[in-house]
Parts: sequence; structure tokens; C-alpha cells
Amino acid sequence: MSVQHGSILTSQTQAGPFAGLATRLFGGNLRRADWIAFALLAPTLIFFSIGVLYPLFETIRVSFLDWTGLSQPKPAGFSNYTKLFSDANFWNALRVTLTWTLACTGISVAIGWSVALISGLAPKQTAPFRVAIFAAYGISETASGLMWLGILQPDFGLLNGILRLVGLEGWASPWLGEPSTAIWGVVAAYVWTQAGLPLLTCYAAIQAIPKSQLEAAHMDGASHFQILRYIMAPLSLPGVRIAIFINLLNSLKAFDMIHILTAGGPIRATETVGYFMYQESVIYFKQGYGAASTVVLLLAVIVCSIPLILDKASESK
Amino acid sequence: MITQTPKWPVYVLGSVALVWIIPLVGIIAMSIRPEGEITSGWWTIEPFTFTLDAWREVWVNYPIGRAFLNSLAVASFATVLPVLFAPAAAYAFHYLKFPFRRILLLILVNAFVVPNQVVIIPLFKLWRETGLIDTYWSVVIPFVGLSFAWAVLLVKNFLSNFPRSLIDAAQVDGCGHLRTYFFIVLPNTITAMAAVGILQFMWTWNSLLLPMLFLRENATLPVMLSTISGAYEPNWDQRAVATIITSILPLVIFLFFQKYFSADGKNNSGSKG
Repeated sequence: MSVQHGSILTSQTQAGPFAGLATRLFGGNLRRADWIAFALLAPTLIFFSIGVLYPLFETIRVSFLDWTGLSQPKPAGFSNYTKLFSDANFWNALRVTLTWTLACTGISVAIGWSVALISGLAPKQTAPFRVAIFAAYGISETASGLMWLGILQPDFGLLNGILRLVGLEGWASPWLGEPSTAIWGVVAAYVWTQAGLPLLTCYAAIQAIPKSQLEAAHMDGASHFQILRYIMAPLSLPGVRIAIFINLLNSLKAFDMIHILTAGGPIRATETVGYFMYQESVIYFKQGYGAASTVVLLLAVIVCSIPLILDKASESK
Repeated sequence: MITQTPKWPVYVLGSVALVWIIPLVGIIAMSIRPEGEITSGWWTIEPFTFTLDAWREVWVNYPIGRAFLNSLAVASFATVLPVLFAPAAAYAFHYLKFPFRRILLLILVNAFVVPNQVVIIPLFKLWRETGLIDTYWSVVIPFVGLSFAWAVLLVKNFLSNFPRSLIDAAQVDGCGHLRTYFFIVLPNTITAMAAVGILQFMWTWNSLLLPMLFLRENATLPVMLSTISGAYEPNWDQRAVATIITSILPLVIFLFFQKYFSADGKNNSGSKG
């Protein structure tokens, strides 16, 4: 690719990279092509700098300040971070985040992948069912949360209603008001919105399998289950991999669903790091402390994204 | 095609899909039944009274028309700007050489790691100082900024399948980069931009955190919904109506255009081979 660039688009002779950079930065003229490049990039860079880069650096800077409420900010070194890791509430948030992220990602991908695989055996007949599951991905977490209250609400929700109907009255429970079950209620509602994505990526991978391969397997006497297990499952793994990453990052960053259903409660049982940050910064106005927890969240997302980042580094030539 | 299609996938996936539409059925049932029947269970069959009272009252009790327009404005601006800017940036990254190209591209496409939570406090302070708080720009700017990570990457990947010969032909015919971009590349990125646009519209329409903090006077639909939520508040019928109004537009767009999401880049570029 880069060889092609050189031939047509850059007429300049190729000096060493540093020589070129130096002349461009100090006294050398930017070539006309450089100006065109920056003209094309300018709107993107302006919005990106104000909307992403500035707040990113500002959050990191504030995380090293002692800054609460209306007081004057003072340099604080790493004290916000050391305080975080001796804060029982933050450890709780880390634990909740781990459960939440693994559960949301695992269940969403398991459902999406299974549906994609089974649906690959009868693509035409199951099309409306795929659309129904995929459609939930288009509904906001706010609206989905309210829809799920119709199921989890203690007095007239469907779940307790069914339990009472079949005589399991004792199992009925205020699902979202009980610390031990609240997180699973929120996970259920979140999975409902998110499972469409793994369904989409896995199904696309299954669709890409050459039909001749499936027919050959069938001719050789493979059962439907064997086709599913030994052909579709391994060949849809790229779709599974993408889905795991996207769902993992989405659930780490999740806020809306938790805010609507439980607002982190009861007694912090559903407070992930992404919500802890909101409590500390927005509700209690502890800016430095909140910023430090935000940086921890950012680091967690970065660590989970390392394979993706490496992918992009090799792609973006 | 497998010669004999088995029956059981239809039954299995039919039941899964049934579970999936129950919350939707619930919210529709709540919106057309009187509140008394909802609080004894929206799923009960007897007695069933059909009423559109909630659909009428919701306009009186909640600023829903205003919220709808706010959502429409925010989502439209936040969609149109990336759709205009991302192809230009992708073109520059893909076809041009310029200082810092590699590092700029790496920063931009990896910005997907930045959660909304990172930007809210600094931007809140910035908007308050500059008077942009409660204006559409306060949410449009971060929405647009955060979109480039995937929008630029998507268009750039699309361009790697774009026939090189078309670009070369344009250059031989004397087109400069700007003209090549506007007349050759831009018209051909429409498929990729449709996918970017639809997803971005849906995400920004549905988003809660940023509008909730920055648009307190101009609430969008999800923000309005969030202020009337909570498991023990009354007006279930009206909340159900508001939930449906919030969801209907992204849902329709999403279902209508879902074929775009699996669209690949090797279609209509006007060059053979």
C-alpha cells in the first residue's frame, strides 16, 4: 500500500524520516499536499480535541489534585489513588464491576452465538426471530429499563405474577430492591438490549461460510448437530471474538441502565466503577477523587482493549 | 443450502424470540390499559379495558413534544457532522502523506477506549465557563468527537477495498486531491456513511448520561424518561406511552436499515476487476 502512495501522490524525494520531519517543522515548507491533508482533517481534529482530548487530559490532571466542592485545588500527588484503594466502597465497586462485566458479556455472547448457530441451520424460517432479538439493540437503555420494570416490579411485575400463579408465592421477591438479586435484574435487562450484537456478528460469520462446504458435509452424512458443532461453531469464532470485545467494553462503560433501574443501590449492590465515578464527582462533588476513579475505569478499558489496539496499530499503515 | 432444513431450530428460536418480545408487549399493554388494571398486573386478561387516555394525558403532563424536538436536533447534528467530516479525514489518512500521519491516526482510532464518564466533568466546567451549557453544542461536540474513533476507521477500511485505478485515473486526468475526494471518493462512500449515520443517530438519540448533565433546560426524551422513572412512582400508563414515543423512531430506522450493517465495500464503485 505505502509503495503505491509514494509513486503517485508524493513527488518529493524520500529523505530519511527525521530529515523530512525537521525541514517540515523548522523553516522547511509544508508541501501543498500537506496543507490539503490538514484541511481535510481540520474539522475532525477540532471536534476531537475539544470533545475528547481536552477532557481526557483534564481528567488525568484533576485526578492528581486535592479538590473537593468549592475549595481551591491543591496538588495531591498520588493520594487520591492511595485513598481509592483503601476505600471499601471502591473495592466493592471493583467487585461489582467484575461480576457485571463478566455476566453481561458472557450471557450476551452465549445467547447471541447460540441463536446465530441454530439459526444457521434454518436461515430463512428463523429470519423473523433474529429480527425480534436484534431489534432490542435499537432501544435505548433508558426505555429498556422501564420495560423491564414491567417484569421485575415487585407488586405487579410479570415475574412475581408467574411465581404466584404457579404457587411459588414464597419465591416472589422485590428483585431490584434486594441486594443479592438486584444486580441480576439489571444484568437481565442489559443482556436483553445487548445480545443482538453478538447475534449480528456471529450470524454474519456463519453466512460467510461457503454453501458448498455445508453441502459437502451433508453429503458425507454429517448430522445437523455435527455441522453446527464442527463447521459453523469454529468458523464463526471471528464473529464471537469481535462480539466479546464490543460487549466487554460496552458493559465496562455502562451507566444508563444502572442509573434507571437501581441508581447503584440497594446499598451499593449495583455500583460499578462507571457509576461510582458519577456518585463521587457529580453527587458528592469530590472532583479529584472522582477523577482518580475515572482514570481507573479508563485503564480497565485500555487493558481489555490491548488486543484491539495492537490490531489497529498493525492495520493503520 | 442444506438439503433438508430441520424443524427444531424454528421452535427453539421461536421461544427465545417470544421471551425477547415480552417486555415490548408489556409496555404496549400498559400504554392502552387504565392504571387500575396495570397495578393488578398488565399481563392479566380479565378484565381488559382498552383506553387511549394515557396517550392523551401524556402530552399535558410531560413536555414530550419539546423533548422529541430536542432529541431530534441533538441526534441530527451529532449524525450529520461525522458523516461530513469522517470521509474527508479517512481520505487524508488513506491516500496522503503528511507529518504525524501515523501517530494521529493511532490516537484517533484508539479513542474508542474513552468512556463517556471521562469527559463529563471537564466538559461540564468548560461549558459553564463558555456559556455553552444547555445548548445543543454541549452534547453535539463530545458526541461528534467520540464518533470519529469508529467512523474514520470504518470509512478507511472501506477505502482499502476501493479500486486504486479510479484514483489513478482521476490523477492522470488532472484532478487535484480535493477534486478527487469530492467527485470520485465521496460519492462512493455513501454505503459506508449510511452505516455510520444510522448507528450514530441511534446511539445519540438513545444516550442518557451526557444530555442528562449538559441539557438540563432542554431535556431529550431519555432524560425526560429518567426523571419520571423509579419502581414506586405512579402514572405507569403515561410512562409506558413516553417509553414507546422514545423508542419508536430509532427502532423503525434500525429495522428499516438493518441490511446496511452487513454491507461490504465491494459493490458500486464503477470499476471492474
